[in-house]
Amino acid sequence: MIPTSHLTAPSRRTFVSSLCAGFGGAVLADLLAPTNAGAAPLRPIGPDLAPKAKHVISLFMTGGPSQLDMFDPKPALVKYAGQRPDSVDLRTERKTGGLLPSQFEFKKYGRGGVDISELLPKLAECADDLCVVKSVYSFIANHEPGRNLYFTGSIVSFRPSMGSWVTYGLGTENQNLPAFVALSPGGGNLFSNSGFLPTKYQGTVINTSDSDPDKMIRYLRNKGMNDLEQREQLDMLQKMNKSHEASFGQDAFLDGRIQSMEQAYRMQFTASDVFDIKKEPEHVRLEYGDSPYGTGCLLARRLIEKGVRYVQVHYGPGQPWDDHKTLNKNLRERCPEMDKATAALIKDLKQRGLLDDTVVVWGGEFGRTPVSEAGDGRDHNPYGFTMFMAGGGFKGGMAYGETDEFGFKAVKNPVSIHDVHATVLNQLGLNHEKLTYRYAGRDFRLTDVYGNVVKDLIA
Amino acid sequence: MLKSALALTFTAACLSAQSPGTDLFENKIRPVLVQSCYPCHSSKLKAPMGGLALDTKAGLLTGGNSGASFTSGNPDQSLLVRALRYNDVPKMPPSGKLPDQVIKDFEQWVSAGAPDPRTEQPTPGASAGGPRVIDFAQGRKWWAFQPVKATPAPAAKDKLFAQKWQRNKIDAFILSKLEAKKLKPSAEADPRTLVSRVYVDLVGYKPTFQEVQAYVNDSSPKRYKQLLERLLASPQYGERWARYWLDVARYAEDGLAGAQYNYAWRYRDWVIDAFNKDVPYNRFLQLQLAADQLPGATRHDLAALGYLGLGPVEHKELKLSKDVVEGLYLDEWDERLDSVSRGMLGLTVACARCHDHKFDPISKTDYYALAGVFASTQSAVRPLSAEDPNVEKQFIWARQRFTDLNGAISNLSENKDIDQKSAAEKIRLCKEELAILKPKLEAMEKEHPELADLVHNTLVPKKNGGGEGKRFVLNEKEAKAPYVNAVYDAGLWLDASHPDYTLVDLKPGEPRDLALYFRGTGGTGTGKTVPRTFLTVLSKTPGKPFSHGSGRLDLAEAIIGDAAPLTARVIVNRVWGESFGAYLVGTPSDFGDRGDKPTNPALLDDLAARFIANGWSIKWLQREILLSSTYRQASKPRPDALEKDEANTLLWRMNPRRLDIEAFRDTMLRSAGKLDPDFEGPSMDLDAPENNRRTLYARISRAKLNDLLRIYDFPTPMQHSPARVDTLTPLQQLFVMNSPFIEQLAAKLAESVESETGAAKVRDLYQRVLSRNPTPGELDSALTYIDRAPVSRFTQTLLATNEEMFWP
Repeated sequence: MIPTSHLTAPSRRTFVSSLCAGFGGAVLADLLAPTNAGAAPLRPIGPDLAPKAKHVISLFMTGGPSQLDMFDPKPALVKYAGQRPDSVDLRTERKTGGLLPSQFEFKKYGRGGVDISELLPKLAECADDLCVVKSVYSFIANHEPGRNLYFTGSIVSFRPSMGSWVTYGLGTENQNLPAFVALSPGGGNLFSNSGFLPTKYQGTVINTSDSDPDKMIRYLRNKGMNDLEQREQLDMLQKMNKSHEASFGQDAFLDGRIQSMEQAYRMQFTASDVFDIKKEPEHVRLEYGDSPYGTGCLLARRLIEKGVRYVQVHYGPGQPWDDHKTLNKNLRERCPEMDKATAALIKDLKQRGLLDDTVVVWGGEFGRTPVSEAGDGRDHNPYGFTMFMAGGGFKGGMAYGETDEFGFKAVKNPVSIHDVHATVLNQLGLNHEKLTYRYAGRDFRLTDVYGNVVKDLIA
Repeated sequence: MLKSALALTFTAACLSAQSPGTDLFENKIRPVLVQSCYPCHSSKLKAPMGGLALDTKAGLLTGGNSGASFTSGNPDQSLLVRALRYNDVPKMPPSGKLPDQVIKDFEQWVSAGAPDPRTEQPTPGASAGGPRVIDFAQGRKWWAFQPVKATPAPAAKDKLFAQKWQRNKIDAFILSKLEAKKLKPSAEADPRTLVSRVYVDLVGYKPTFQEVQAYVNDSSPKRYKQLLERLLASPQYGERWARYWLDVARYAEDGLAGAQYNYAWRYRDWVIDAFNKDVPYNRFLQLQLAADQLPGATRHDLAALGYLGLGPVEHKELKLSKDVVEGLYLDEWDERLDSVSRGMLGLTVACARCHDHKFDPISKTDYYALAGVFASTQSAVRPLSAEDPNVEKQFIWARQRFTDLNGAISNLSENKDIDQKSAAEKIRLCKEELAILKPKLEAMEKEHPELADLVHNTLVPKKNGGGEGKRFVLNEKEAKAPYVNAVYDAGLWLDASHPDYTLVDLKPGEPRDLALYFRGTGGTGTGKTVPRTFLTVLSKTPGKPFSHGSGRLDLAEAIIGDAAPLTARVIVNRVWGESFGAYLVGTPSDFGDRGDKPTNPALLDDLAARFIANGWSIKWLQREILLSSTYRQASKPRPDALEKDEANTLLWRMNPRRLDIEAFRDTMLRSAGKLDPDFEGPSMDLDAPENNRRTLYARISRAKLNDLLRIYDFPTPMQHSPARVDTLTPLQQLFVMNSPFIEQLAAKLAESVESETGAAKVRDLYQRVLSRNPTPGELDSALTYIDRAPVSRFTQTLLATNEEMFWP
């Protein structure tokens, strides 16, 4: 717990401690901390457990993907097609009809016999790396609060996002890049907000609809000067800054901004480089596919490789997986590129030795109902749905938990969103009950007052 | 409820329990309690959850905050069994439902009279479980709740120095603390620094070269005082100080989920005017809570209700169950309550939503007694013209009802999957009501055309306000239409008479008392309601119900009356903090047990007492602060003092600060001669190339907070902000290095000195940007630089200097 909300002790410590905030200065601040003995600098507070992983890539299927057509086969749906037994009379957002069987064929893959449908042939090849949890449940059948819960552990709108909590806990490994990045080809709430955590922990939103790095990060490059001219200008500036500080006296803000200017200067090149997927060989780009989501996955790997702590890839724009109608057609159109890019990411991370210390999390704000909506659609289902994890010490080649015979409700080994959060934090070496921040009179956690580490999922 | 009778029935049954029951307990019950319950419900814990300790017989018997654990012999009536069954709240254990067999064991055990052979006593000194009872008498002794009184100034040890240094009473309190640490205050800042400090403090930007020179060359002994008076009297003073309050009020122009507050700017302007007119702070608060009910308030003052009427709105999908929708309303009421209690009282009352406050003397009952005020207060667009209050109330209600009924009809008729018969019946009922409502509404609109805000009607998104923060751009006439986003009194209930659609049921003029909700969760508030009252610990007449409408006026009167000492301490601390860059109480919105203690309690009390005595005048307080020698100290570091008090808690110097984004952007615009002095009025997109107005007038959106504000530590308007936290990030520097905004200013500066040459050019630029002349060294190096590079590159460098952003 770091009492940044206690504001009597003023600027010096705040400034020194937050040198390259936003772009996650925790590590640098930590290095500087010894000169500040006694003060409580903003430094990484963890890890306090032995970490298995260092990075997270969160792949978010905005809208709520259908587990019943991808990971959770239910033969009973065929038997009772069109019927509506009492057990499926659960309230969801909209009125639903009878049971709707999946049109897609399932097979078991890998050493653990993980069920995967024909929609995801490439992910099926990665089955031995997947830890598929079929019994995830949430609390609310509505998109916005559901997404709030998924990302922040609370259904209200202003709590810090998980990426902010993680960077608050661990800082970053690359001061020239943001510690926490949200990639999306469109707007909407991308859960980059640090809520009551200091703004240095806020995520940087990158719009991947344009592949030009200059357009992805605001003010990234100067249009009127070449690098040499800008360096000369910066030298002039720093000369003035240094002589100003010499006349005033040592000051944390003055020092900090001199350093921050240098970081910004370097970031122009680092970021321009890392965000430019054209630097990637063509065969690699082909693996990921030429889709905004594929670009997101590829960028995620490039960022992780450079030490970025937490990357969210939002499948967007809008909420494409919200298949209230024409589900089969939609899934046939949408799954191939998702399958291709996700599998490419997992294989690529593995091949580069990055999968061991990167947790890949795949999921949506909820799943979909086994009962139909509008004929061939499915409604929101928070009662039981599927997420999968890969890498970062999660057990591969396994499926965990079960839903009821129709795939509506988690019945065996139910795992809440808070449990997922607790377990991912655990892999990063963070105890979810100790990762707290004092705000408005109480110690807040990502997992609020809930959450258990699901030991069965981790090696 | 079942609570009172329980202990008795249990005791009687317990006596009859014999050894078979004991076996049942030992074999089936105790192991489950140990494994699944003790982690949170044990007397060995500092604070067992819910006040419930299950590790001793006594604890099990007493139960917790929610009442007794069970009714002996009756599993269906037993909280413990119901919790395990997971079909209502609480659901226990929270990690997941226990196997059905275990639940059956518990049912059997309770049916058998719940035999419990345990003899262990609670660990000495630990909580014995049972509901924690707040000791309000003890609570009233908390320092922040004590009456404030002017204190005699402490005498200095070094009388001679004190006589020379002290200008007013503040200095005596500061000097006394410094002397105790053997520290001396710093010398007075040089006139250049001082004039710059005061400009930023009072009007929010740095002075020009001419303004600095005018002050430096003024030989009058009264020049400092005259400077303060001139700036305090200028309209720009309100523009600066309004922004501090807008952080407290989490001001924004949309509600997030589809709600667009078209007239939000009128609240912002009302705050500017209030600071400029030095409206007494107690009145300032009253107006923001109850301008529509306060004697002597003008119609224009209705804008003040924006404090309540401009809050964030959660998206409510009305197709969902009543319980879910109610949960979202509870969140909203909680947000309003939090903004008022932390913002005005410096208390974290919202902590008591789920359970009694763990540290402060605020009960869960206190919470719901206050939350009822917000359940009885609704956002509404209200006309600035005077109206018959009854007609207005009816009109606001009728128009909302009209929208709600139409929403229900379109939603139910579009939903083909639901039972068509019951939907048709509900639609028929809605249409029947509409048939009566519509002509009434039209008649009212015709008779009182000024009631109907046409913009509002055309721009409100259809269908339950769905969609993600839609943005609308109004034309000038629409934006300036004579309306305000305010509130009015109407209790809110939810009508779940149709299973597939939850209809909002507002009752104008009828307040709603709330029951206590379990863990603050929707659907659980089924018990007895509590009357709307003020916080027990602060009230002089605890439990006395509010009697005016929603209770907003009573609440306002209590905040500035019964709670006046606390309220005054909180605002004095806020003003002090903004003036010095550090607070006397380091947690400006938490004066409770978890907050910081004041660094100089006597000073805080004395100032608060005199603040009240001086008519709650903010300008009086600022004169007092700015005239002190403490404020006028230099801010340079002194190694001797740094060693003793590195954080400058005792104020041996002024805290050197950096400009916030508003002052930074405004100062740069002014340096380039581009600042648009347009005063007040509708907001503008901050990124619009033609926007050269003060940053205060930027449109503030919750759905999409402007990037520039975000990267420069602007607080999120989703919630009350106690104070800004400064960060230094490379993204901020990229803005200075590469943004078109800076490039344009740099170009404009270069252009304005185009006709000059050599040293004159450089001197002019230094004067325009840094309000001083260059040193000979600086002149040389600048001349060398502009010999090789375009002048605009040099002007950008000047704007980018630390000196430009520094506020020593």
